Amino acid sequence: MDLSIKNDFTQNPSTIMHIDLNSCFATIEQQANPLLRGKPIAVAAFTTPTGCIVAPSIEAKRYGIKTGMRVKDGKILYPDLIVLPPDPMKYRSIHLRLKALLSDYTDQLVPKSIDEFVLDFEGFPAFNKGLVKTGSEIKERIKKEVGDWLTVNIGIAPNRFLAKLAAGLHKPDGLDVIDKDNYLKVYSELELVELHYIKQRNAARLNSAGIFTVMDMYQAPLRQLRSAFQSILANWWYMKLRGYEVDDREFARKSYGNGVALKDTYVTPEDISPVLQKLVEKMTARMRKAGFKAKGVHLGIVYRDGSYWHQGKSLTEIVFDSREIYKIMYRLLWHSPYRKPMREIGVTCFELVQSDQSQLNLFEDVEKKERLSVALDSINEKYGHFVISPANMMNTDGIVLDRVAFGGVKELEELVLAQ
Amino acid sequence: MIQRISIPASVKTVFNHTTRVTTPKVILWEGREYLVKKVGLHHTFRDGRVFFHVFSVSCDTLAFRLVLNTESLIWTIEEVSDGLVD
Repeated sequence: MDLSIKNDFTQNPSTIMHIDLNSCFATIEQQANPLLRGKPIAVAAFTTPTGCIVAPSIEAKRYGIKTGMRVKDGKILYPDLIVLPPDPMKYRSIHLRLKALLSDYTDQLVPKSIDEFVLDFEGFPAFNKGLVKTGSEIKERIKKEVGDWLTVNIGIAPNRFLAKLAAGLHKPDGLDVIDKDNYLKVYSELELVELHYIKQRNAARLNSAGIFTVMDMYQAPLRQLRSAFQSILANWWYMKLRGYEVDDREFARKSYGNGVALKDTYVTPEDISPVLQKLVEKMTARMRKAGFKAKGVHLGIVYRDGSYWHQGKSLTEIVFDSREIYKIMYRLLWHSPYRKPMREIGVTCFELVQSDQSQLNLFEDVEKKERLSVALDSINEKYGHFVISPANMMNTDGIVLDRVAFGGVKELEELVLAQ
Repeated sequence: MIQRISIPASVKTVFNHTTRVTTPKVILWEGREYLVKKVGLHHTFRDGRVFFHVFSVSCDTLAFRLVLNTESLIWTIEEVSDGLVD
């Protein structure tokens, strides 16, 4: 296909709707507790001064408080800032209710994260009614049926990228359309870094190719974009800005992982081993529940001085047992040359294979080990997580807390499975 | 200020058979009665086999997180908040 001759915006109708819950965690906390409404609040990973703010409320954002700031920095901007710890079950519950409500309109509904949904209305009655009207109806129904304090941004466009862009044009509580009639006006009012996925480094790449504005980018021939991106991304950007769909790919899960930001100081492998064991227990239980085993493991550590060490290992055998995976991880941990305070630690299993694949071993009874894992998982499922757990994990309560994966969508599949 | 506690409490609820919704109406805590003005959020979670209902409710000056253990049928106040900074 010769893309260079398609220098025009798509004539396809705007069938895609992007819905984004405003300041998700903070707004849900205000929904739950009316005494917090209208006040600057923030949900932070930890409420301590160095805790990271994961969601400031709309009111807090007006004081310049942003996601990623430390609690102490937020308090400098607004000393009376109310800081709350995350309550993932609350947020997941709202996610499921939103999903149920939105599925009344189309079955082409994809959750992009805990607070974002993409709906495709092509061929559904709501499209004939008009998507702006449908969007307004969805806003009203969310207030009436899910929570009266909840507001959403809605963007409508011919593709997912532009629908997300439209959803961000007027925050909070916006409803905007980008289509063949107004795209030039929208592009002319935006800066490059306001496009999703274009931040400083990509902007610098584009600048080096003579592209300084969104209009420049739209008008640039494909070869000019290729000189900036040096990859297939150039083709995708060329298509996206013209309203063609390039983001409708769904990727299969390739790994399971768990990580934690450490509150206390851990320096040696012996110090961190209970935390490592708990992470491995959580990760492997999720992996087994979804019906997978793994042929690779990975361990990553971020130290308090900002440095990073990681090591992965592809295995000759298929693994599923927490104890076995822990032993491999612990050996990897000893490969780290550093003995300095850790800030974050994360474990991952990759090269997933379906659970029904087993590899018999001459020296041990793999089937017996599998039956033991299934039995332990069943007991923990019935009586609560970690009812049966390794002794090494004693005193790790409150260390590896339940968290909502940032921007993740894969955990939402597990959430639906759990329902 | 938000105070995290875990104290069993007396809770009067009303079940509306037309809407099929159960709502906490009165909380008796530390010798005082609190009339529930608003249920901000009701959600559920499961810990093992035990299913819990969580009602985030507010009265005139305080907000409570009430948790009903559906196995033991015990109500617990897990959080009390006055909506002010610590």
